[in-house]
Amino acid sequence: MNAPSGADVVVDDVSKSFGRIAALRGVSLRLKPGEAVAMAGRSGSGKSTLLALIGGLERPDTGRVLIDGQPIWAQPRPARARREVVGFVFQRHLLLGALSARANVEVPLIGAGAHRAARHERAMSLLEEVGLADRAEHLPSELSGGERQRVAVARALANEPRLLLADEPTGALDSVTSERVFDLLFRLRDRLGMTLFVVSYDRSVGDRADRAITLTDGQIDSEHPPAGR
Amino acid sequence: MLAIISTNLTRRAARTVLTASGIAVGVATIVALLSFTQGLRETAAGLVHLGGSDLGVFQANVADPTASILPEAMVGRLAAQPQIARATPLLLLVEAVRGDPSAIVFGADPRGFFTASLVLTAGRRAGATPGRIMVGERLAAKLKLRVGGSVTVKGRSYTVAGIYHSGIFFEDYGAVMDLAQAQTLSGHAGEETDVVVRLTEGTRAADAAKAIERAFSGVQVITDPQQALRAGANSTLISKAILVIVVIALIVGSISVANTMAMSIMERQGELGLLSTVGWSPTRIALLILGEGVAVSLLGAAAGLLVGVLGGRLLVSALGVSAYVSPSITAWGLGRGLLVGVAIGVLGGIYPAWRVTRMTPLRALAGT
Repeated sequence: MNAPSGADVVVDDVSKSFGRIAALRGVSLRLKPGEAVAMAGRSGSGKSTLLALIGGLERPDTGRVLIDGQPIWAQPRPARARREVVGFVFQRHLLLGALSARANVEVPLIGAGAHRAARHERAMSLLEEVGLADRAEHLPSELSGGERQRVAVARALANEPRLLLADEPTGALDSVTSERVFDLLFRLRDRLGMTLFVVSYDRSVGDRADRAITLTDGQIDSEHPPAGR
Repeated sequence: MLAIISTNLTRRAARTVLTASGIAVGVATIVALLSFTQGLRETAAGLVHLGGSDLGVFQANVADPTASILPEAMVGRLAAQPQIARATPLLLLVEAVRGDPSAIVFGADPRGFFTASLVLTAGRRAGATPGRIMVGERLAAKLKLRVGGSVTVKGRSYTVAGIYHSGIFFEDYGAVMDLAQAQTLSGHAGEETDVVVRLTEGTRAADAAKAIERAFSGVQVITDPQQALRAGANSTLISKAILVIVVIALIVGSISVANTMAMSIMERQGELGLLSTVGWSPTRIALLILGEGVAVSLLGAAAGLLVGVLGGRLLVSALGVSAYVSPSITAWGLGRGLLVGVAIGVLGGIYPAWRVTRMTPLRALAGT
């Protein structure tokens, strides 16, 4: 597996509202290349919205999101940026139920136009990386919750992202399984050098990250250690 | 991509089958109608060259060539034309034979070339003897008729004088009686349906047709099957009706597929949002949706082709109208059915595919 370098992410005075509800209010943040940042906050504080804006899943109302100096929504095809730069892991695994674990990992590669043999090889390599090579042909319904989330991690890594965004990736898992999934994410960050941005209620995640921030009512409330330290 | 399309269709097998069935009905209807049209064309060909003639002279502007009425005096005047070698009158009695209404009875001059061209396989010629008739071998086989037996025409019984073979379907599946008797039987004394004509050697049918139509007002000359179909308002109506049915099938089929696909898209917003999230371009996702629509349509079209071919034959057999029209399957007819099926898939998939390209990934994911 090639080691991708981390993406440099700048969130510059970003605001986002859904109807009359202000999800984010003037948020500014920088994720340095290869940095692991954990974000906490109460439900409805805007964590998932911020993650979606950074990943190009939604447009900000005001402000900019720059990845390696390029505004993601200013590019002619944001899907291309999602394909080439960003990997997502969500609270729910969002695996396609009719496809095997291997086929699920191959889905992003199909979107990238990879050939069948290359897709297969890459998917098997990633499943081995997350310890599920022997479960490659199993359907999601035949896997445990932790295994499904590990498949989702493998899928997020399929296109060698330089930025991995994880939105409460262990929210639906027990504590032991959660620990294993976070171990996997941080180990991969250490080995591949990608920038990692994790949303989690788990305080221990903040301890393992390079930096931890807290979001309250759509604004960054605290940062440990402070940015620039 | 193909594997995902296949998986998506098989995991919702009931919906796929129902959608394909709707398309199959449309395609089957089209294929059957096209095969009937082709059958009509071939039927018309048989009517044009009755008795081995080069052309037929009919009354102009009739709803159907068999409804034509000409004065008997036409024959002599036509025979006097320089391009015409021989001319003989025919009076066609349709739906006249008890036991097989699709058979046609030809009232013909016993001395004309039409009667002379019949090859007797049993018995003798009926001539002008009252109460006598000759029966074609196909009709004889169908009604189990023998020489000396009887057949009922327009409620009157006739003795079978002979059984003949001509090689022309309508003649072999019909009967021939003396023209004068046919005129009396049908109430058309001194009249005929048409005059069949053999041209002098070297005369082109098209040239002769023009000359005859110039010389005789109120007649039309039919030289080829297409012309025969056009000459009949009923045939024209059928052709136009088929066009309308094809368009209706296209519209209804497309709306049906679009509706099913749109419902499927609504249910699968989360899945499609995921594809967008992992970097699938809107174009690629739209192609996936479109591909599913086309695949369902191909399944439906294939089933429709089969049902159209078999159903057309069964229908004609069940209705007992095989003498007038029998379905004729051509590669182009099948091709058109297939094209309509695929067009339904493409048209039906366009709207759902367009909708998908308008969704932002986050909102689509929210639909999970």
